[in-house]
Formats: sequence, structure tokens, C-alpha cells
Amino acid sequence: MPFKKTPQKFSAAIKAVEIGTGDKKTVLGGEGVMPLYSFDGPIENAPKVGVEIVDTGLEGEAKGIQEFYAGCTTPAEMAAKAATMEGADFIALRLESADPNGANASVEDCVATAKAVSEATDLPLVIMGCKNNEKDAQLFDKCSEALAGKNILVLAAKEENYKGVAAAAGLAYNQKIGTESAVDINLAKQLNVLVTQMGVKGENVIMNPGTAAAGYGFEYVVSTLERIRLAALGQDDTTLQMPVITPVASETWGVKESMASEEDMPEWGSRDDRGVDMEVATAVAVLAAGSNAVILRHPQSVATVSKLVKELI
Amino acid sequence: MAIITFQFKNGTHITAEAVVGANLLNLARDYNVAIDAPCSGNASCGKCRVQLMEGDLDSPRTLHISEEEYAQGWRLACVSKVCGDAKILVPDIAFAYMSRMKVADLSSGEEIAIFDQTVSDLKEAGIEFENDLRLIPVTMSEPTLDDTMPDNERLLWALEAATGVDDKKISMNFQVLKNLSQVMREGNYQVQCVTTTHGEGLRILNVLPGDTETKICGLAIDIGTTTVTGVLVDMQTGKILEKASSGNGQIRFGADVINRIIESNRPGGRKRLQKAILEETLNPMIARMCKAAGIPVGWIYRVCIAGNTTMNHLLMGVYADPVRTEPYIPTFFHTSAVKAGDLGLYAAPDARVIVAPNIGSYVGGDITAGTLASSVWTKETFSLFVDLGTNGELVFGNSDFLMSCACSAGPAFEGGDISCGMRATDGAIEACTIDKETMEPTFKIVGEPGQKPVGLCGSGIIDVICELFRCGIINAKGIFVREGKRVRHNIHGMGSYVLAYKEEAASVKDIEITEVDIDNFIRAKGAIFSAINIMVSSLDFDVSMIDDIYVAGGIGSGINMKNAVMIGMFPDVELSKFHYIGNSSLSGAYTMLLSNQAEAKVQELASGMTYMELSTNPFYMDEFVAACFLPHTNASLFPTVAEAMAE
Repeated sequence: MPFKKTPQKFSAAIKAVEIGTGDKKTVLGGEGVMPLYSFDGPIENAPKVGVEIVDTGLEGEAKGIQEFYAGCTTPAEMAAKAATMEGADFIALRLESADPNGANASVEDCVATAKAVSEATDLPLVIMGCKNNEKDAQLFDKCSEALAGKNILVLAAKEENYKGVAAAAGLAYNQKIGTESAVDINLAKQLNVLVTQMGVKGENVIMNPGTAAAGYGFEYVVSTLERIRLAALGQDDTTLQMPVITPVASETWGVKESMASEEDMPEWGSRDDRGVDMEVATAVAVLAAGSNAVILRHPQSVATVSKLVKELI
Repeated sequence: MAIITFQFKNGTHITAEAVVGANLLNLARDYNVAIDAPCSGNASCGKCRVQLMEGDLDSPRTLHISEEEYAQGWRLACVSKVCGDAKILVPDIAFAYMSRMKVADLSSGEEIAIFDQTVSDLKEAGIEFENDLRLIPVTMSEPTLDDTMPDNERLLWALEAATGVDDKKISMNFQVLKNLSQVMREGNYQVQCVTTTHGEGLRILNVLPGDTETKICGLAIDIGTTTVTGVLVDMQTGKILEKASSGNGQIRFGADVINRIIESNRPGGRKRLQKAILEETLNPMIARMCKAAGIPVGWIYRVCIAGNTTMNHLLMGVYADPVRTEPYIPTFFHTSAVKAGDLGLYAAPDARVIVAPNIGSYVGGDITAGTLASSVWTKETFSLFVDLGTNGELVFGNSDFLMSCACSAGPAFEGGDISCGMRATDGAIEACTIDKETMEPTFKIVGEPGQKPVGLCGSGIIDVICELFRCGIINAKGIFVREGKRVRHNIHGMGSYVLAYKEEAASVKDIEITEVDIDNFIRAKGAIFSAINIMVSSLDFDVSMIDDIYVAGGIGSGINMKNAVMIGMFPDVELSKFHYIGNSSLSGAYTMLLSNQAEAKVQELASGMTYMELSTNPFYMDEFVAACFLPHTNASLFPTVAEAMAE
């Protein structure tokens, strides 16, 4: 009996959400098939790759990253450089310096950095906070105001601060909002419900349902992403039809495989290779499970993942 | 050594000797000073407030005590250490749980009618209301010099003549023998014997002079983790002579079963806990009922006790630790070996104590007795029986099969774990509505007209949360999202809603419900709903196939089913399917007391019930998180709520 291909058809689709403006603007989501299943139906917007730059400098970064940004002194210069990376679709600026338990940079300084970065590149911009809920809410408010009209994505509103973030970024300045939860489909859905109940349109929301570095409880991540996709497409659950973005770099560059120096672990080999391997393995796995965009740091990772996406879709 | 004086509002006091550094709450427990401590001294519930009048205590200020209150001497007993002589005022609030408890199930005629209804339902299902207690009048010939038979043989011969039972098969209790001589002479050789069947023969439980007016009484008791209720019954007519309820005296050792088991494993703990339930709770209750009914406790010849697995283990002083550790094996499901005299329970020493059988570590006799009382097992249509207590238990099925499971709801349904929570005593807000425009509340309060509010009981909490949600004051996560006169935030940003300012309330502080309270309650209702959902879907059913939902428990007849559905505690089915059946554990025990067939039926139901362990179910956590949202993360499960909210 000859093989007969039966495509898995869904009547629902992931919402297509646009970030950025002008020629370089980019669209996340929009597909009506399971992740990367381009054989079941068209995937018009292939998964996107973003480059993460951190506003606290390059100290401690892997050699390959430091060499790539050699000569850059400000985040804006780094952003301009990052935009030249092969396969970079957007820039993700992480305002680590704002952390009250760290450098505790003022909101004004951070906004100035964000503005400078925005002017240095025409790629779409994602603003990431410092993981302090209160400070992040202020940052997202002021950055959204300063970058009004730039159609940025703020990453992300959490259950603890969604009210402020949704009101400012989503309603007042009409930016895109990320909703972040901790690897639990129900919590992800609840936050989307709360944000949309405030009046933010589902079409303006991109969710980050959480991730881990590959090998660090990653099966939960896969299961969560997969169930989110199945609910969105199979059950037409509109509260889970937002595209998914996954900040990979901030997870993988914090585990020992990526951090341990070559002096400490000579038998593990090159730190750059290890870090890139972790970043690529995690990124590919979340893309296969349902993510529409990944945020990476190492130029080699960006090149590898974007090449993979290009060849698959 | 330091001297600590516990001063009570009624003027009495207890003096205790303590070493410096001793914990005040433990000291109070050692001296039987009742301080309410539902969290068992973890400083998390804030209920063990006492006031320092003289001397000093080494006690930090906690979240539960404001600076102003701290200055007035208010301390939490559980975090206080003795550092010298001191005089401590124990507030009445701590006493409220032992007395003046509203008998949640027997306060009105309509709740008494539930008992009659249960009996008639069971009769209809073919259960005969017969038991083996008899009152047999016996006439004997007077002894003479020619007839020197001893008193006991004389009685046995006469009984054989009266009943036809071989005198070799009749036995009597030692207490009966001791008094036999006087009783026979007092009655002029006319006596009445209270007997029960004993194997093929008879056992004499009591002998009374022939002309005494007597009654054969029985006792049905429900031992809840929080509340104990009981009825004294005339076994010949089935009439309820007296009723009583009280807080469970074990409560000061912890609010939930796990904390009680842990306490029972401390040195002398099993004895302490048994004493707390038996000597401090049950016996005073029985004495009160007997006094009111005008009978001696020795006229109680049969006792039926329904309680959860931990409660019946602790009552009997049985080692209970395996109940809380994997793989959760209790010492017994069913026992018929217990007599009142063995326990020291106030009743005839030979009175049989029937313990409603357990079917699992967390589904006990209260549920098997309750299952009998609900009519889940009599019908072909599918019914769900829900007992809302500190543990929530569910039974689902019909006349062909029964399934049960338990989930830990915490004490929230009974007002625990809620800062202004209280049991349904005087001053409890049992119903509430809130005006959507002005955000002003209106209450129905337990007690005499004009009673000022003191706190919230279970049904009141459901109403308040439902109304706050309906008015858009809190969001689906239970977080305050609307500002108003009655909404405020503390320095940590935690929101709260003031139900009554202290001027309007019979309390030392404002009565308010906080985000933490709401969160606790949402978890409790989430536990119940997710258990229902998992049990029903494990059979590939959905909630629309449930024809009747029987709700039992001390949460009170005041429970507003519509509001309970609004907040996602119960499935969204027609309201006419809900039936409140009161304290089904007690009404079940009452029928088991009166009827041998009912007793046997409970054994049969218990042995045929499938127990589903939720704690090892991989889907439970997921379902639970989904249910911790108002009404539910999956809004399609609650279509009528969505409609109502849209209006």
C-alpha cells in the first residue's frame, strides 16, 4: 500500500504579532501547524533569532563574544555591531544595571541607554528588565514612553507586576507586552487572561512561558510548550494563541557547562564551544517544542540557529 | 523558675511554673490553658494572641500584631519565651472555640428534619430500623430457706423463662453483678433487664428495679478535626433527646490531622491527645446532654462514632504515624472490639462502641457513615457526595459502584487560616452582599438581632470573595484591582477589604479580608474542584453527567450554592442539583446507632468502595493550579459564570 500523507489540520492559528517598524520589522507566529511542521501547512513567519546585549559590559563573557564586540564601549555601539550578525532578526537589550541589588542604575540612565540603542540600529528592539518586579515595572513604563512609536516588546510582565506593565506599555504607549510565567501552562494562561482583561489586545501579547537550559529539568519546558500549542491549535484556546519567545542566553550562560573556565576544567575543552553548544541545543529544542523566537548571545550560536531555521523552512 | 499567671476574662486564673526560655504556648498546653493555635505554633496563623499584663516576655512583634497592639501588650503565644514572672491575659476569643459553638446542623427545625429525612430515605431503600437492645421485664420468686439459689442464677433462670434463651448462654457484666442483690430486693424480685444479643446468647448490660421508669439510650457522635457534635437518642423510639457540640479539644495541638499525628508521636503525646478528645471533649459533652435529659450516663448502651481515620485512631490511643507516611497504612479500617469501658467513655461499661469503618488513610468513618446518609448508593443515576471539612472528601457513584478520594483543603472552610475567620458562632458573618457602585457591604450575622460582626465563617467567606470578584474589586487571582474607601494596602503592598471598622464590630481591630486570606481560600476551593474534576474525568465522565450533588459539612446550611459555583468551588451545573445534607457523618452515625442493618450496610459500602489516592496522581497538580483562579483557568468549564460576569 502506498504511503499517503495526511496533514494534521487545525482550524485555529497562532496570532501573528509584529515588532519593530520600517523595513526591518518582523513578525512572530501566524502558523496553524505544530512547530516546524511546514509539511502540514505553510509557516509564513519562520522562527526568529534575536541577539542579546547586556548593559553591564562584557566582563566575564566568553572569548568569542568579547572578540566580536572588541572596541565597543557602550550598549549602543554593541547593538550596532550585533545588527551586523548574519541571521540577527532583532536586538534584545537586557537592562541588568537597573538591579537594586546590583549596580542600581537609575531609571533615567536605563532609558537613555535604551534610546541610544534604538537609535543605533533599525532592527526591532526587545527591552528586558533586571528581574526585580518593581524596578522592571518602572523601566518598562519609562522605556515605552521614550520609545513610543517604535513598536518595541517589553519582556516581561509577570503576575506580580502585570498591572503596571500592561497599563503603561500595552495601553498607554501601544507597545507589545511579553507575559512571563514559570513553566506551567495554567499560570501562563492565567497571566494572559489577566493582561487581556485589562484591555490589552491578544494581538499585542507575546508570551514567555519560561525555560531552562537543556538538561536542567528541560522535559518540563518541552511538555509545557507542547501542551500550550496543542491547546491553542487543537482546542482553539484564544488565551494561549500568543506567539512564544524564549530568552535562551540568560539561562544557558548561567550554568556550569557554559561558565566554568578552561583553567578550572581543562578536560572540558574550549569554553566558547561549550557555551555555544548549550545555547544551540537549548534553542533548537525550544523551537521544536513550540517557540517562535529565541534570544541568543554568541555570534556563532546566532549563525548556527538561523541557518538551521532557513534550511528547515 | 518563673511564675506565669494565666488570667481569664471571667476572673479565674491558673498559675504555672516555668523555666526561663520555655515557650509560652507549650506551657499553656501543659497546664491545660486553652489557647487557639490552629497552625500549631508556626507563627503563621496569628490566632494565639495573648495580652501581657505584668512582667515581661521575650517575644518579637510579628506581622499579625500592629505596633499599637504590641505597645498594648499583645503577643503571639507561640513566639513568646518566658524570661521572668509574668501575668498573661488569655482573651475570650481563645475560649470561643470550646463553648457557644453554633451547632451548625441542629440549630433549626429544618436541620432536625434532615435526620428524619435520612431515616425515611433509608427505610425506603429497604433498611429496617431494628437493633439488638431489649428491655425485658422479669419476675422471680422470692428466695426462702428451702429455695437458696443465688441471686444471679435466679435472674438467669427467670430470663431463660422469659426469652427462651438457654441460661448457659446468658452472661452479665461485673458491674451488674455487684449491685444485683440490692436491685432485686428493691424491686421486690421484679426487675427489668437491659440486654443485647451476644453471639447466640444474651448479655445483660443493666438490671433495674421493676417499677423504675427507665430508657434505653444510645449516643451518636461525629468527631471532626475541628468540631465535635453528638446526639443522645432514645433507642426505642428513635427520638433525639438532646444534642450538643463542642470544639475538638485536640485543636490546641494543631489544626489539621498531620500536626495532630506529629504531636501524638512526642513523648506522652498519644495519651495527651486521647485525653483531650475523651476527657476534655466527649465526656463533658455526654455529661451535659445526660443532665439535660435527666438520665444517668449508665443508661447509654450503644455508641456509634464517626470520624476520620486519624480521629478514630487518636480517640482509641492507637499509633497513628503510618497514616501520614508513605505508603499511608492505617492500623485498622474496621474494628468491633471496643467497649465504652475500655476507653473510659461515659456510658454503660459494656456498651458497644461502633466505629464507622475507614476505607483509606484520608477517607474515614465520617465519609462511610455520610455515604449511607446521602442516598448516593440507592440510585442508578450518578451522584456526587462532597464533605467539606478540614479535609475535603468526595464520593462519586451510584447503586453499582462507588469511588472516593480525599484532598487537603485546610481549615479555610471552617474559618481557619483566614485572618478574620471564625467558626459559625455568634458574631460570624454567614452571608454578605456588596454594592457594585458604592462597594459597601451588607451582612447576615449569626446570633441575636443586633449582634455585631466578629469575623467570617465558611459560608460568609464564599459570599465575600464571590461579591468582591463580581464587583471587580479583586481579579481572578484574588488580587485587589479596584481602589475605594474600604480597600487598603499595608506597607508590604498587600491589599485588603475592610468588612467592618472596629467601631462597627465587636472586636479589638478592624475586620478585614486580605489577599493572603483570599489566596488561602482559593487554594481550598481549588483543591475541592480539582479533586471533583479528576475523579469524574478518571471515569471518562464529565460534570454534566452528575445528577445530584450532596454537600455536607459544618460550613452550614447558609452556604450559597450559586456563589460557590461563581467562584469555581463546585461544577457549573443546574442549582437544583445541589442538596445541602448537613452533618451527614452525624446523621449516618445516628442511623447506624438505631439499626443493625444500617450498621451492616455501612460495612458493605465501605468494603465495596474504591479509594483513589490523589497525592500520587500525576494530573492533580496541574488540575489544582488550573483551579486556583476565579472561577477557573479554563473558563469553558463555567459557562454560566462567564455570562453572569459579562452582564
